[in-house]
Amino acid sequence: MLKRIAILGGGAAGTMVANRLAKRLYKELKSEQVEITLFSKDENHIYWPGYLFVAFNLDDPESFKKREKELLNPSVKLQTEEVNKIDLNNRTLVLKSGASYQYDYLVIATGSEYHYEEIQGYDSVVGFYDEIHALKMRETLNSFSGGKIVVNIARLPIRCPPAPAEGTLILDDILRNRGIRNNSEIIFTTPINMIIGIKEAHALLINEFEKRGIQFVPYFTVASVDPQNKVIESQEGDKIKYDLLIGVPPHSGAQVIKASEIGDRMGWVPTDKYTLQVKDHPEVYAIGDATDLPISKAGATADFESYIIVDNIISDLRGEKIKKTYDGSVMCFAAAGLGKATVFRFNYTIPPNPPTPLDTLWWVKLMYNKLYWDITARAIL
Amino acid sequence: MSSFKIYKRLDLTSSSCAGPIGELSGVMDEVNPGEAVEVIVADEATKKDIITWANRRRFKVVDQGQENGKFKLLVGK
Repeated sequence: MLKRIAILGGGAAGTMVANRLAKRLYKELKSEQVEITLFSKDENHIYWPGYLFVAFNLDDPESFKKREKELLNPSVKLQTEEVNKIDLNNRTLVLKSGASYQYDYLVIATGSEYHYEEIQGYDSVVGFYDEIHALKMRETLNSFSGGKIVVNIARLPIRCPPAPAEGTLILDDILRNRGIRNNSEIIFTTPINMIIGIKEAHALLINEFEKRGIQFVPYFTVASVDPQNKVIESQEGDKIKYDLLIGVPPHSGAQVIKASEIGDRMGWVPTDKYTLQVKDHPEVYAIGDATDLPISKAGATADFESYIIVDNIISDLRGEKIKKTYDGSVMCFAAAGLGKATVFRFNYTIPPNPPTPLDTLWWVKLMYNKLYWDITARAIL
Repeated sequence: MSSFKIYKRLDLTSSSCAGPIGELSGVMDEVNPGEAVEVIVADEATKKDIITWANRRRFKVVDQGQENGKFKLLVGK
């Protein structure tokens, strides 16, 4: 009997799962015992960490965008009609047209969404979390001649958590290279007490900040931005005047999760931290940013998770009892300025031990921007 | 005991880039007045950091204790 696997979301997580399943299930796909369908409302696939490079004019948006169809294994069906509702009890996806799709297995890879509108004045920021704000940042920096720059993380969790610190350190180097660092001030603000919430990573980064004279302001939860008077104000009652505001917007789970009422109030899907199964629905898995797990929302997280989900779906399809579990593995190359990078590698039980920033790791990070499409998205490894 | 309704329980003993306060702050954004989040953290230093953060955000640390060598806090809105 035909088994239908639905994957909801055409970002890094969904595409990896689809391609890894297709490679492993090629016999079953050929003999039409299995069907894999990926639902993505966007025909383009975005490599989101690339916008860090776009904002600093180190690369162009086109380098980080490809057609989803070109990335998917040809045996995976791509459905670009939007899914309006996930009906977990009836194992059904309801499409925008009203048509429905019944699945045997579902992988929820619906990612994060941004909400600049949640904070008054926040859409005036520049940044590196999407194309519009990255292009605005590139243009603003081009004519920037010095002044006070505030980097702000609005809320947590966010995707690619080291990115705000990476952007701050690259910015510092760019201002130095242009000879305007001496008449500039850089202030990093965040709702928490650390630059990144892992003490080993924070120790490395705070050392870099201190060496470079970057001011760190913890416990700053933005309440509003006044773009006319250029003031950012926190819920804790602090106000900072700025000349340039670089912002990381509030994130939430996808609209379809909220509309389907299958997530928490922020739209994150309740997920078992080891099996990655959605609570009370063993045939449904969640991956990447979409989960409510207290780990990092990053493509590397999804990469590690994808092997577990793929193995367990295949094991279930074949009637095998052995199941794999996710150990919380995360790995990311984090820029520590222009030309240097470090690496954060950790899991649920072992904290990271990041090496001193090296130029070779910077080149690895740049190379990975190019290799992502084949190694990760097309899942050739 | 408190009159707060527990909205979520969070095990914050593992490493995460947002850190224990980052994960908790994300959940506190969705909590309604009269609700609380129960958190488990691995060490006393993190417990103290959470109390400092909660005071600054004007959340209430309703209850705290220790269980199997880990620290438990109930943070309410």
